[in-house]
Amino acid sequence: MSHHFIRFTDVHYAYPGGHEALRGVSFLITHGEKVALLGSNGAGKSTLLLHTDGLLMPTSGGVNVGDVPVTKKTLPLIRQSVGMVFQNPDDQLFMPSVEEDVAFGPANMNLPREEIERRVDEALRAVGMEKLRHRSPMQLSGGQKRRAAIATVLSMEPSILVMDEPTSDLDLAGRRALINILKGFSHTCLIATHDLDMARELCPRSLLLSGGRIIADGPTEEIIQRIKTDSE
Amino acid sequence: MRTGVAGTSLRLDSRCLTLVTVVYLVCMLSVPLTALGMLIWFAIYPLVGSAVCRIDFGGVFRKSLYVLPFVLLVGVFNPIFDHAEAFSAWGIVVSRGWVTFASIVLRGLLSVQALLVLIEAVGFTGLCRGLARLGMPSYLTTQLMMVYRYMSVLLREALSMRRAREARGFGRKSFKIRDWGPFIGQLFLRTVDRSDRIHRAMLARGFNGTLRFFNTAESRWTASDTAYLAAWTAILVAMRIFDVSSLFTHIA
Repeated sequence: MSHHFIRFTDVHYAYPGGHEALRGVSFLITHGEKVALLGSNGAGKSTLLLHTDGLLMPTSGGVNVGDVPVTKKTLPLIRQSVGMVFQNPDDQLFMPSVEEDVAFGPANMNLPREEIERRVDEALRAVGMEKLRHRSPMQLSGGQKRRAAIATVLSMEPSILVMDEPTSDLDLAGRRALINILKGFSHTCLIATHDLDMARELCPRSLLLSGGRIIADGPTEEIIQRIKTDSE
Repeated sequence: MRTGVAGTSLRLDSRCLTLVTVVYLVCMLSVPLTALGMLIWFAIYPLVGSAVCRIDFGGVFRKSLYVLPFVLLVGVFNPIFDHAEAFSAWGIVVSRGWVTFASIVLRGLLSVQALLVLIEAVGFTGLCRGLARLGMPSYLTTQLMMVYRYMSVLLREALSMRRAREARGFGRKSFKIRDWGPFIGQLFLRTVDRSDRIHRAMLARGFNGTLRFFNTAESRWTASDTAYLAAWTAILVAMRIFDVSSLFTHIA
């Protein structure tokens, strides 16, 4: 049984106010694929990402992570398989120190202390944050916060990484450092972004979302050309 | 971050400081209301505790004054209703109401000072961790941590809204009264929204209602902790049982 792919099947989602954010979204992301999710503000990118982790449930249609359907009963399994990096790292870092934040997920998985320590060490090493492990998240720069937020997810050793605007608010150096880190990952990745250069560099495939529908699915270069043509 | 007394040669576990504070509060608050001479000696702990933990006692004292209005309110009726004579000195009769009033004020200030020493030494999260390790039910420590977290969220949102207001305030520093309603309403909505996002991030990492603390720099209970706790327990219990002031009176 593989947990490394995501399948959306005719997913519809309407917010309690009635706004329909997703209208019949279907796609398959296979093992090890890196896919960019492109689209203008309000297109439904964040809503779609929240469905991958079961933080929102479809009004109709279905989401599968590997062979497991995303339902309330399967949430613990889904959340171990899918690591979600939120748009604002301040929302993701809530513990008193970076180390405790990174250990938060593994501790909730009731892992033994030695295993938590190993995972925390590895996750911090992967994002180059070992020396800042005892620092308060509030004392970190924007780029460091973003890397710490990624470490909080890596420590759960997910097979799929889902990221919402990972390069937003980063300066050039921070952005470059982050892209280099993401290049080193072998996870299946779904990245919602407005950063077309990053999408081009990291993701061979892109999905273009508009008005809650996927209007294009193909090689990133082609999708970017289409966006440029449409905006002219 | 290490739980304990940061930057001191004497590294104390947060549990040790919490227990000493509990012993202090129990001993100090159980002193009879009229035994002012006995109570005054308990001012030693916040002073010595601050020195041991390398905390500025002046700052602790100033912060403790914030509770003074509330404490004064609690004791203010005692001098009015209790006129029984407590003692007389240099021909001045002091009523029991004034003695109990002073006793209430002193207790209030000393209690707050002891708690401030504890929180400044170990930090609020250190205190929560210490309480959890002492066996306090996890739902209580989780509530404390969440309230603490929510307060910082509220504060940040209020600050950003105030900045936005000042940026368009054309020099006006205060709000008009009619602006307060929308400000507080917006603040509440923004903090609920922010807290919802934080909660989602917690859920995404398997949060099920219980905060599990993990810290590789967690201090361990050492002989210094046992000695510190034993010494203070002995001193505080002795101060509670024997009236040190009367000892000085006898010597004189």
